[in-house]
Amino acid sequence: MEPILNIENLTKTYGNVPNQTRALDGITFQVMPGEFLGIMGSSGSGKSTLLNCIATVIKPTGGSIVMEGRNLQSLGGKELAQYRGKTVGYLFQNFELLDNLTGRENVLLPTSLHDVTEKESSLRLEQLAEYLEITDVLDKFPAQMSGGQRQRVAAARAMILHPKLILADEPTGALDSKNAKNIMEKLSGLNRDEEATILMVTHDSNAASFCKRILFIQDGVIFHELRRGDESQQDFYQRILKVMAQLGGGSCNVL
Amino acid sequence: MFSNLILKNSKRNRKENGLFFGSLVISIVAFYIILSLSKQDVMIFLAKMESDAVNQLLLMIPVFYGMTLGILFFLIYFACKYQLERRRKEVGVYLMMGMRRSKLFIMLLAEDLLSSILALVIGLPIAVLLSELISLVTAKLVGMGIIGHQFTFSLSAVCFTVAGFLVIKLAAFLILSGKISRQEIGTLLASFSEKEKKQRPAFVYGTCTVSGMIMLAAAYAVAIQGIAWYAPDKMLLTLVLGLLGTILLFYGMRALIALLVKAGKTNRKLHVFSFRQIQENVMHQSTSMAISSLLILAALCCFGAGIGIAGTSRQAEEHVMDYTFQDYGAESSQDALSHLKTVLKENDLESQFSQLFEMRIGNVRNGENGNHVFQMDSVMESLEGFTQSEDRDVLLNNLGYVDYPYLICLSDYNRLLEAAGKPALVLEENEAAVYQDYDFTTESRMDILNRILSEHPETLLNGNSVYLTGKIQSVDLVTDRSITLSFALILPDEQFLQYTNGEYEVYINGILKREAGKSGSLMTAISDMNARLDELCLEDMGIEYESFLQNIGRQLFYMVAASYITIYLAIIFLVVANTIMGVQFLMNQQKTGRRYQTLVHLGATYKDICLSARKQINWFMGLPVFVATISSIFGVKALFAGLLSSGTNGAEWEMLLVSTAMILLLCVVEYIYVTIIKRSSDRYLLTLMQPQREE
Repeated sequence: MEPILNIENLTKTYGNVPNQTRALDGITFQVMPGEFLGIMGSSGSGKSTLLNCIATVIKPTGGSIVMEGRNLQSLGGKELAQYRGKTVGYLFQNFELLDNLTGRENVLLPTSLHDVTEKESSLRLEQLAEYLEITDVLDKFPAQMSGGQRQRVAAARAMILHPKLILADEPTGALDSKNAKNIMEKLSGLNRDEEATILMVTHDSNAASFCKRILFIQDGVIFHELRRGDESQQDFYQRILKVMAQLGGGSCNVL
Repeated sequence: MFSNLILKNSKRNRKENGLFFGSLVISIVAFYIILSLSKQDVMIFLAKMESDAVNQLLLMIPVFYGMTLGILFFLIYFACKYQLERRRKEVGVYLMMGMRRSKLFIMLLAEDLLSSILALVIGLPIAVLLSELISLVTAKLVGMGIIGHQFTFSLSAVCFTVAGFLVIKLAAFLILSGKISRQEIGTLLASFSEKEKKQRPAFVYGTCTVSGMIMLAAAYAVAIQGIAWYAPDKMLLTLVLGLLGTILLFYGMRALIALLVKAGKTNRKLHVFSFRQIQENVMHQSTSMAISSLLILAALCCFGAGIGIAGTSRQAEEHVMDYTFQDYGAESSQDALSHLKTVLKENDLESQFSQLFEMRIGNVRNGENGNHVFQMDSVMESLEGFTQSEDRDVLLNNLGYVDYPYLICLSDYNRLLEAAGKPALVLEENEAAVYQDYDFTTESRMDILNRILSEHPETLLNGNSVYLTGKIQSVDLVTDRSITLSFALILPDEQFLQYTNGEYEVYINGILKREAGKSGSLMTAISDMNARLDELCLEDMGIEYESFLQNIGRQLFYMVAASYITIYLAIIFLVVANTIMGVQFLMNQQKTGRRYQTLVHLGATYKDICLSARKQINWFMGLPVFVATISSIFGVKALFAGLLSSGTNGAEWEMLLVSTAMILLLCVVEYIYVTIIKRSSDRYLLTLMQPQREE
């Protein structure tokens, strides 16, 4: 099977020569279709930089990101916008719903940007709303929704144009544990039922335990990888915690 | 280090809020120009002849100055408020780092002062240059020589400009910084404490819109019927109705825009987003949009009035006489001309005049019917035979009062016609010609009357029948154009002397010799002659005179004063209204900058968000302008119904001219502002395209 996303030796440096920070220091990995991949690491490990590079919000310094055979660096303005809107769906930590738009208008925003008629998207909207249990709040403004509802509306917005890859940046970061569990269940449900490919950045071990594979990043390099076999989510969670404990112990403890 | 910080912050403020800074410069220019009015060439010239009127106008200047200060305070307060609001977090950080509140206050004050001084340094030279330019242009326009022009610099105007500007700036600053320094650091650090505005059910807004429209319609109706000008309380009622109507209309407008949001079924690019943004702006700023709209309306009306007044004064009547003398020193009115001639001869001045002739005007003196000596029933009858029209009714009314007309001597009038280069009038002994000044009639009314006169209607003058003949005459009888006759009869000399019984007034008209090649310097010639006549102390000899120069001086004064002040106010109003709207939009855009970033994440191109922002600007600026334009259509009508009616009689072409000028001004100003705002919006959005590292 062809990987959907192929990242080769990706580097990103901030700042100028004497005080350069290498946020990404040669990262290489692939994402397969239908995969639910988690990326974990402590603050400043480079995981957000990695996600932003894939989302084309920032330009990498070196290496390549190939999405379905197309190198992202070769994309121009219009293709880039198409890529951002249609190929990937982005789920933010702070939801980033526009608070002057209703839930429905928020979800349909990408369709209006990419000239998809409302007729085509209304069926998709209905399906998603039902699955994500947001049908009741579609005509409310974000201020009138709970945090969990907001994130689910944001998820619907990310999914509305059938993206090839969903990029989730700490989707549970601003939620309480109950709502966090709920959104993670919904995401893994989408991954299971719709075979949606999800790439999630998180430092919440609980959320990460929903993934099928986890990459650990530290100081801009991948230093460990976990795969969830047939074990239960609880066991996988324990394994994640173990790695996290070693991470916290600094590089001298690295496996 | 501290001063460095001040310099940097001040520079950043100007950069981020260039529109506001620009408006400050404009307001400084406006201050100086109104304050230096007394130093303008035209005003210096007029002050020589019409010193009373000029002084009265100059007494009014402090009122305008105060009014401008008030309006500009509103603007400055507003813009500063946004500026400080945006820096809340920064202020919080300074306090967190242990900066004392007093030091913080000094820092903010110094930053503000720096910007103010820079605005003054840029603004004052522009103001001085501009006021010189205006001085030269108006002097040229009214035909004064500009050779004698001297560069004027009004120190008092500069002082008052600087003082006024700094005072309002400081006042606004004190109020705002007082507000911000009383807050806790925690609330300052927390990003925008946007209070969620309470939403009411849609029908509330609907009702507001409808009642606003009804109130506006009522105000329009009262204004165009001229009722508003009857009494101050009626005017107040009109203004209150208009004010409340506009505010309510804008308050309810969100409901209309909500409809527009839903109307976008076609799902055009960012349609919903753009309109939600517009709706939000309208929701948060309905009152200031309403005020901006009213300011624009006020500006348009002021400008319209200015143009209208200037237009009416420019009615080109022929200039025939240069001087009119009145001689009270002569023994009898018959001797007046010879007496004046002797006086002038003694002083070597007679040779300067090419003509000196009498203009005899009197009334029926030996009447038996008291003051009812003239009847023209046949004229009234023919008039009633005309189809009903406004002109006919006006004529019927006006002519109904004519029962004691002035009488004019034919030979004098013919001298006048000769001087004006017109054919002489020939009258039989039982005939009379009608004289009416232009000020009391219109072309169409003269047409009606001329048609009646062509039938030689019979009238009764002191019991004798007199046949009216010829066309209506209206060459000015004397130099002073404020002296006019609404209805007079021109009679042959013999009849004139008979009816007036030898008792009449004599005006002596004089025309200066035109020296070849010096035609342009008539003004100078008259003003030299005035100087020489004044030396003679004519008043002691009982001789009074009025020159063409004094006469146009008077007219010029009304024109210059009215148009100067109204146009000045118009510009101030427009600048303030547009700056308020522009600053508000840009600040709001920066406040909601994250939304644009989200759009970029969702795949919007730079072009898409720029287009959306441009659309929002068009609507946000367009709504108040649109409402103001609609109102101004009625405003122009009201102006003509009240203020300008006596002069113009509501000539349609004039109304058209005024409206065109207004629309032109509005288009130019709005275009400039919208372009500036769109540019800075584009620039701001470009900064959003570069992602920052966010935590």
